[in-house]
Amino acid sequence: MKVKAKLKKGVVSVKVLAKSPMAGKEEAAKKKIDVEFITHMTATVNGKTVWEASTGPFLSKNPYMQFVFNPEKVGAKKGDKVEVSWVDNNGKTKKGGKKIK
Amino acid sequence: MERRKFLSLGAVAAAATILPSAVSATDFRVEKPAAWQAEGSAEAIKALFGDITPIEGKIKMKAPKLAENGGAVPIGMKSKVEVTTVALFQDANPRSAVVVFELGEGGVFDLKTKIKMRKTANVTVVAKGTDGKFYSHVQKVEVSIGGCGG
Repeated sequence: MKVKAKLKKGVVSVKVLAKSPMAGKEEAAKKKIDVEFITHMTATVNGKTVWEASTGPFLSKNPYMQFVFNPEKVGAKKGDKVEVSWVDNNGKTKKGGKKIK
Repeated sequence: MERRKFLSLGAVAAAATILPSAVSATDFRVEKPAAWQAEGSAEAIKALFGDITPIEGKIKMKAPKLAENGGAVPIGMKSKVEVTTVALFQDANPRSAVVVFELGEGGVFDLKTKIKMRKTANVTVVAKGTDGKFYSHVQKVEVSIGGCGG
């Protein structure tokens, strides 16, 4: 998982690139692969949730996400780590993170 | 086929015990399963938010007028309205719901992602404001080569 977090003009912009086939039942049947897609993603800073996504297979393969949050409101600052985690339909989990630049 | 299903059930059960609580905070797949099965956007929106009359004109959507790759259509959603939940739907695929974002404290309504679209269709975003009101925006996105495993 690739994560980038940048503080600019008072807000932190986060970019996440997760790795998953994001194959729903139709696609899995057609490609003869397993149904496999991320179902939930969470981003936290200092233990506080700043963003979440309940996801489905109609997101692109290797889903790309970009979100913004106000660090002051969650007591975050440059150098703090944005932690991102996800879980898929098979219970597989992944974690990643990056310090706010 | 049966063995694989049995194994995956075990994996989900095992994962559920070790997942940090933050991961399962607001899981709309668990809370509103019908929304994810709905074929059309109107049905999916109703399953997710109930009977709502969203206000239009407050959300800006950035999407290509013509997407050349239906497998990765970039969608940007922005608004000055303070919101808690932002849901994205499309009428290009077998089911409408794509993703439901939940913003934390200090969340700013400025989101981007990439979605699959099998064909030209409307993309709809519906957001729930901290004021309890709903906001929406619909935009047609043309797709030249469909992308949903097809």
